[in-house]
Amino acid sequence: MARYDIRLRDGLARAGVFHTAEEPLSLPAVIDPEKRFADLARMKHAHVPLSAPEGFVEEYLPDYETVVAVHPHSSRTALSGDVVMVGNWHTALGQPGRYVRWLQEMKERVQPDTVWYAPASALPSTVAFLIFSGLDLFDFTAVDLMTARDLYCTPEGEFPAEEWLGGGGCPCRGCAAGDLGMHNRLALAREIAVATRFLARGQLREFIETRCRAHAPLVALLRLFDGAYDFIEPAIPIVRTAQFRAYTAESLRRPEVRRFADRVTGRYVPYRTDVAVILPCSARKPYSGSRSHLRFRTAIRDRAHEVIMTSPLGLVPRELERLYPAAHYDIPVTGYWDREEREFIASTLAAYLGRHRYRRVLAHVEGGSLDIVADAAARCGMEIECTCRGHPTDAASLDALGAALEGERRKVPDIIRGCLSWQFGADIDTRGLMLKGKWMNQKVVRGKEQLFSLDPATGFFRPTFAGWDLIPEGYRIIIDNFVPKGDVLAPGIVDADPAIREGDEVLITGDLAVATGRAVMGAREMLKSSYGVAAKVRKVHKFAPDSP
Amino acid sequence: MISVEREKPLACWKGKDAYDGSVLTTLTVIFRTGGCAWNRCRMCGYRHERYHGLSGDALADRIIRQVNWVKANFRDDDYQMLKIFTSGSFFDPVEVPPPVRDAVAAAFRGKLVIAETRPEYVATDAVSEFIAGIDTGEWDVPLYVAMGLETTDDGIREKSIDKGFTFADFTGAADRARAGGAGVKTYLMMKPPFLTEQEAIDDMHRSIREAAPLSDMISMNLCTVQSRTEVERYWKQGAYRPPYLWSVISVLLKAGPHVLCDPVGGGSIRGPHNCRTCDHDIIGAITDYSLNADRSLLRAVAEMDCTCKKEWEFVCSREMPYCMPLTR
Repeated sequence: MARYDIRLRDGLARAGVFHTAEEPLSLPAVIDPEKRFADLARMKHAHVPLSAPEGFVEEYLPDYETVVAVHPHSSRTALSGDVVMVGNWHTALGQPGRYVRWLQEMKERVQPDTVWYAPASALPSTVAFLIFSGLDLFDFTAVDLMTARDLYCTPEGEFPAEEWLGGGGCPCRGCAAGDLGMHNRLALAREIAVATRFLARGQLREFIETRCRAHAPLVALLRLFDGAYDFIEPAIPIVRTAQFRAYTAESLRRPEVRRFADRVTGRYVPYRTDVAVILPCSARKPYSGSRSHLRFRTAIRDRAHEVIMTSPLGLVPRELERLYPAAHYDIPVTGYWDREEREFIASTLAAYLGRHRYRRVLAHVEGGSLDIVADAAARCGMEIECTCRGHPTDAASLDALGAALEGERRKVPDIIRGCLSWQFGADIDTRGLMLKGKWMNQKVVRGKEQLFSLDPATGFFRPTFAGWDLIPEGYRIIIDNFVPKGDVLAPGIVDADPAIREGDEVLITGDLAVATGRAVMGAREMLKSSYGVAAKVRKVHKFAPDSP
Repeated sequence: MISVEREKPLACWKGKDAYDGSVLTTLTVIFRTGGCAWNRCRMCGYRHERYHGLSGDALADRIIRQVNWVKANFRDDDYQMLKIFTSGSFFDPVEVPPPVRDAVAAAFRGKLVIAETRPEYVATDAVSEFIAGIDTGEWDVPLYVAMGLETTDDGIREKSIDKGFTFADFTGAADRARAGGAGVKTYLMMKPPFLTEQEAIDDMHRSIREAAPLSDMISMNLCTVQSRTEVERYWKQGAYRPPYLWSVISVLLKAGPHVLCDPVGGGSIRGPHNCRTCDHDIIGAITDYSLNADRSLLRAVAEMDCTCKKEWEFVCSREMPYCMPLTR
């Protein structure tokens, strides 16, 4: 039986190996539909446009043997390992609003461990976006059409072959031979390979942000995808190890950004709410490794809660500075905040300050940053005290900051409580808990018992069984009657907390055993897939045979 | 100022048509009527053109006033043939009350008349009565009943057009028309929605072949994108493309009988078009062939080279029902 072994996923995008009776096929890929799906061409008069109404679709959507034709307005669905064909998808590329809506309708109906074929849609300038949209299988029809039109395909667009075939600077075999058709096909194959490499790096989003510039509808699509937060966010991994490059206007709208800010203003529990000091961010991550933050901390001496304001994340409480993407993002610095950035930071800060009523809020920022803090404070009716006298790291500023904190209580930041509340949505009593160890090998202990280890690459807390005892609910996966070894497969899962995202720490519980592990897919995918690794197991505890 | 409301047809123009080896001057009239009773065809833009809620008498009066307008604006001697279209069926007594038919017959007595109708309204009596009204002995067959068969493929007619009748219905109507003394003119429709370019070409080849024995004249209409139609909705979404003119000439060249074809809207993006560089010459050749049945000019343009020809050939071979249209 055919199965799609998905090895990489990021958002809607996937890559893996498709196993069938034929040779295994690495996806995403280009295939020859006439060879692979021979019955497609035999079906005559079978066209059903994407916008066709329900009754029409029901009557005319063809039944093929080799693929399952799906349609936004059909209830038809597919089984694990099926090839799902989204016919005429190339016409959706010109209609961004419908593209997102149609894709959502189909993706939410059809189970995820299926292979999605988008005929005649892939050009080097569009295929990365198609992969980003969760499509896996393509053909050469669109590039061959460009060849018939004497157009030269590049990831940046399609151009007259007359000028580009010799002068495009392409080192491919097709260009060397003056063979436009070969160049165009190779260009598509190359772009699929490049997109797959970026997917593997955890930077497909960054790649898409550059690639979408060839066509206005693609830029619109990217923005609309970000707007469809409830559809997209559950598929976005909670952590990545790659750098988070916030280099475009669209990166401010990434679901990861909104999720981080939502958790900071919602789930996160600050360890003190008497005095806060708002600090500027630093290029170096985590911030406390920077020279400027070393100076701030020396002046503050734990007498206030340090909150860092930043774009695109809004604000980062000191305890969370190692969490993804706070320690991973990079942004071009010009010293100028644009209107969107100002609004995002101000509204996030206002939501935060409105929820946690500090007795005093010090703003150790200047210029445009100070304006943003003032705006936020006005929105939630707070007074702020500015402690900058010139640049924030000037001696006068640091002196003013220290003086303003004269007499305030010293309290060491509670990283454990802060991070656990952000990560698990649980407010934990951290008395008696200690963060021990060197940078790359930190752990949380209570006496001699280890409760958590820290993932140095993501800042995530990995609970031991004893650690899970502190987290009362959530992030549980319920499995069938078996003892998991190594991996837990999707079909073995009975239930999963819908909050679980790829990369989340999870507790796997069943009648025969309990295990700690990490989710490899989001909860939605776990529950809807019949194939694939859903979670990697770290430690298993078998129950004694007679005590279930 | 008070505007004086004058009833006039939706459109009325003079042109030339081939008939029985010669070229006649034709007056084409499109009457505003009670509207098509079927009113469902996916590409039809005339469905919105109708009088609403008029009694039979009032409706008859309005249409007869349109007839009078035609009589007042075109001299009888200036044309020999009259082509009558309504937004539906000339022989539907609800859409066009019988007194109107009598008035038309009287007004255009002596003309060669072609009147369009759906097959279900073709009744031998009505046809022979109308003929009695217009016939002066000038023409062997003074009336041709024109029906929009569109295609001989019932599946395509139903799915792509939603026409609501079958090839058998058409055949029965043709028999009734002949029994009443009329000839039969058949309209075909090239490339309604949901067909690939090649499917559309094949459909026309087959339809011409199958309709020819039943028809005295065959006219092939080329699907256009009319306002406020289902086809327009698909077209706006990039889901429909009118036929290539290359396809049209390939159909006409291979057809057995002489097929009339007026490439309405040719060369525009809403009508049959190529790349716009070669459209003009091809439209000229089609119009020419339609009038004089001489295929030489058609053959010459078919041999012509244009950058879009390679694209058209690609579309014919690679456009599939599951990935179309490939071009705009």
